[in-house]
Amino acid sequence: MKILTTVKKVVDVELNIHVKDGAIVEDGLQYVINAWDENAVEAAVQLKEKNNAETTLVSLGGGDNADIIRKCYAMGIDEGIHVDDPALAKADSSVYANVLKKVVEKGGYDLVITGKQAQDTDSGQTGIMLAEALGYPCVSNVVSIDVLDDTHIKVSRLGDSGTEIIELALPGVITVSDSINEPRLPAMRGIMMAKKKKIDSMDLAGLGISGAEAGCDALKSEVVEFMASKTRKAGRKFEGDAAKITAEVVGLLATEAKVF
Amino acid sequence: MAKVLVIADIKQGVLKGSTLELLSKARAMGAETAVVAIGNNISSLAADLAKAGSDTQYIADDAGLDLFSAGPYASCVVDAAKQSNADMIWFGFSEGGKAVAPRVAAQLGAACATEITDVTLTGSGIEIVRPAIANKVMQRVKVNTKQLVAVVRAGAFQAVEGNTGKENVVKLAIPSADLKAVIKEIVSDATGEIDLADADIVVSVGRGAKDQAGVNLVKELANDLKAGFGSSRAMVDGGFMAHNKQVGQTGKIVAPTLYMAMGISGAIQHLAGMNGSKVILAVNKDPEAPIFNVADYGIVGDLFEVVPILREELKKIRK
Ligand SMILES: Cc1cc2nc3c(=O)[nH]c(=O)nc-3n(C[C@H](O)[C@H](O)[C@H](O)COP(=O)(O)OP(=O)(O)OC[C@H]3O[C@@H](n4cnc5c(N)ncnc54)[C@H](O)[C@@H]3O)c2cc1C
Ligand SMILES: Nc1ncnc2c1ncn2[C@@H]1O[C@H](COP(=O)(O)O)[C@@H](O)[C@H]1O
Repeated sequence: MKILTTVKKVVDVELNIHVKDGAIVEDGLQYVINAWDENAVEAAVQLKEKNNAETTLVSLGGGDNADIIRKCYAMGIDEGIHVDDPALAKADSSVYANVLKKVVEKGGYDLVITGKQAQDTDSGQTGIMLAEALGYPCVSNVVSIDVLDDTHIKVSRLGDSGTEIIELALPGVITVSDSINEPRLPAMRGIMMAKKKKIDSMDLAGLGISGAEAGCDALKSEVVEFMASKTRKAGRKFEGDAAKITAEVVGLLATEAKVF
Repeated sequence: MAKVLVIADIKQGVLKGSTLELLSKARAMGAETAVVAIGNNISSLAADLAKAGSDTQYIADDAGLDLFSAGPYASCVVDAAKQSNADMIWFGFSEGGKAVAPRVAAQLGAACATEITDVTLTGSGIEIVRPAIANKVMQRVKVNTKQLVAVVRAGAFQAVEGNTGKENVVKLAIPSADLKAVIKEIVSDATGEIDLADADIVVSVGRGAKDQAGVNLVKELANDLKAGFGSSRAMVDGGFMAHNKQVGQTGKIVAPTLYMAMGISGAIQHLAGMNGSKVILAVNKDPEAPIFNVADYGIVGDLFEVVPILREELKKIRK
């Protein structure tokens, strides 16, 4: 089985992010692998270990992605593709899906595993749109994968009324939740070997798709401005005798906050 | 006049609050409103859907649509979108909506936006506002296509009573089952519990509760208040709480009148799911816990000591 995982380089959400004049202040930002994509990589590596899958990752855009791709190599991914191009500067999920479609067509993968969403966009669209573009079946928010045979997997997804059990015919696309696994910490040996591995880098022309075909010239939507989010102010903090402060807070909930 | 198609949110045959919220917003914008309802034995909801403010009800009612399946559900929505000629197609916040919206957008060639908190019609088209980067920033997004498919963030729009539309049912053709993604079964969540999305009060438990005994203690508080009982991811990962109880970016987004965080540190992924709550009360023994940065009322203390007192005090005032 040939598996492709998609990996995006995103801003580290644990750090402070500031907005000025409608844009995000670049200064002080750090970039990391999208958390949900680490789950996708872990899922692929587990399938490699259990079912002899071949694993490839692809990352689109983001400039120098070598550190991220090498981290995935160290986790056990066999090959890495990096597609970057100035035309991708304002790409949205639908553009990325079009480019990924070309990657899948060229590589002939049986299963594509994406993260359920990217931490910078919080969109949750790319994997599903990729499946639509390819005409592949798709299950999103997946929390477990079982290989049934060469052309079928059984997955479970968290839905609105419970855990949905679905049989997916390959080739197909799944998007994974962080509940699916705990991404491994790469071992030293893996890290050393990852340093020597090559990364297959190309631009859109190298991949065989033009910016126009990818939809870069006709974005369906574009961010016109970033704004600071409404932050809640820290309220009052009560310390001391538990009985006393608890009674006081309950009183305030009733008289001040008027929630009861 | 703009035309809005709202996807009815139905769970176990009952219409959820988000449908009324979305229809209320559409009417407040002066839009023509239609709704699409998909499921099994749901035709009887047409009157309720009219009462909630829709003027046309597209209904796909079939035994084959009993279990949620993104492919056929998307086909129904696309069909209704084409028949209604809708400019905007709005889903309420749900796992189903998140799975179906990008498919519908792809099939219609429309723009897609998830987690929107506002939408406006400008002279030249549609603009939306949504959070990004784990709620750390907001984005204003211009839609370049004629149509927009959107998933509305929980709590973004207010329900208005007394809308009343008119009953005008259009039956949709029933799409065939997705043979490449076959839904085998749904292992349902425990029923009879209060749905987090509907609860006016949510009490959530975190790793501070340690074990099942701690979880049970906090659950009693939730029971007293007839509140929804939620969880941080730590207690779900620990096997103490069901997946569908998780509040946060991966779990449910809630915006109740009162959110009570018991032994939860306040990681940004958790905050992203509850910081739209009207009032937040936190109990945590660490005075530096980040949850206190968003809590209106913070009790620094051991939840094993505080929760029983809290229950007693609440009983006094709620009598
Ligand atoms: C991609 C991704 C998605 C995620 N999605 C979610 C999500 O949807 N929801 C979510 O919740 N998390 C999510 N997380 C995890 C999140 O980052 C935190 O790890 C998690 O929220 C921590 O749960 P917690 O606050 O219960 O535990 P901890 O962070 O361990 O905090 C426990 C708190 O309890 C306090 N405490 C300990 N003992 C007591 C006591 N006796 N009395 C009172 N207080 C006590 C401690 O001071 C501490 O503040 C996600 C993470 C990632 C990477
Ligand atoms: N630029 C990109 N490069 C590689 N994968 C991506 C890229 N953008 C999105 N993806 C994949 O699609 C998922 C969903 O992204 P999004 O639709 O932006 O939320 C991510 O978790 C990634 O796996």
